Amino acid sequence: MQESTFNELADLALRTTGQHIPASKSYLMEARLSNISRRESFATLDDLVHCLQARPNPRFEQEIAAALTSKRTHFFREREQLAQIVGNALPHRLKQSKNGRLRVWCAGVSTGQEVWSLAMRLREEVGSPLANADIELIGTDISAVCIETASQGTYGHFEVQKGLSIHRLMTNFTRESSGDWTINKDLRDSVTFRRHNLLHPAQDLGAFDLIICTHVISDLAKSAQSEVLTHLSRQLLPGGYLFAAPSEQIEGINPIIKPSREMRGAFERDASARSTSAA
Amino acid sequence: MKHCLIVDDSRVVRTVAGRIVKDLSFTVSEAAHGAEALELCRKDMPDAILLDWNMPVMNGLDFLRALRREDRGKEPVVVFCTNENDSEHISEAIRAGANEYIMKPFDAEIVESKFAEVGLV
Repeated sequence: MQESTFNELADLALRTTGQHIPASKSYLMEARLSNISRRESFATLDDLVHCLQARPNPRFEQEIAAALTSKRTHFFREREQLAQIVGNALPHRLKQSKNGRLRVWCAGVSTGQEVWSLAMRLREEVGSPLANADIELIGTDISAVCIETASQGTYGHFEVQKGLSIHRLMTNFTRESSGDWTINKDLRDSVTFRRHNLLHPAQDLGAFDLIICTHVISDLAKSAQSEVLTHLSRQLLPGGYLFAAPSEQIEGINPIIKPSREMRGAFERDASARSTSAA
Repeated sequence: MKHCLIVDDSRVVRTVAGRIVKDLSFTVSEAAHGAEALELCRKDMPDAILLDWNMPVMNGLDFLRALRREDRGKEPVVVFCTNENDSEHISEAIRAGANEYIMKPFDAEIVESKFAEVGLV
């Protein structure tokens, strides 16, 4: 891949999704764009970029930018955090709820394993106050391909064996004749998926008790991190929590988000702070 | 160091699985069928058993049932590792006392994930 091709694609990713791809990770571009490149019969990424330059196509550019985002995920990836969310954060919010309803947004869910893990854990809360709560789960991702996979809930042999116990697999999935496994319909109906770019405002999604956005913010350029946190914070209900992956450094990116004093590992909106990014 | 017994009639699978399990800090012993595995267990009960289903002499399911009937004070964690990937076989294995189930083909990440599910790593 020519340096100019890398620069063009890195700029497209930054512009469209806020993702920062350093030159040392140019191999990621080759891997993540191989399907599109093959489908469109480009011999190289240089040819793909030349075509984009000759015939600009915003829709195709969006698809390329979405394909360049990380898809790495598996079931129960952040197990301790999930325990904290189900054991403490959601019950705490439920106590504050007047109507027994909770809204949870999993932002940047890739192919959906994270939100399905939460849905499975909630099903296991037999006898707890959460069992009777009306909990709305929404998963979003910028990639239409990922959203399609996530909403179908069908995963391959290798995917269902990483992070998922055999008991959870047998309880929540049905094996297809192809050998793939599909999430059972009653569980599938408990999550709604929508395509959404985190760089854009999210008012149309409504306000949430909990926003879970893991392994997304750390992939973004500094300016995009701040902007995304602004948009996420605006969708938090008063007293609502934002969870990023424990390995991600969120504190200090944008003063509008501060660590929660009462909920370990969570962040909350600082109503007194001014956001550092544009509205 | 924990001890894992790998029971599979394929020498290749035993070698590949053995390398993966050693990387998870287990000592490894091997058996080519259920009867040989049962004999080894009576001498030195392992902490974990990675168990194939279809084998000559004694298959994995018969081995597991026999093992669970033994009362030797130590109940090893049994993880099936087999080509029998349908729900009926999985249910039968769980009823017989399997703790986890790996569907072949597998890789190191799957073995580690399944061992983690049952507290072996």
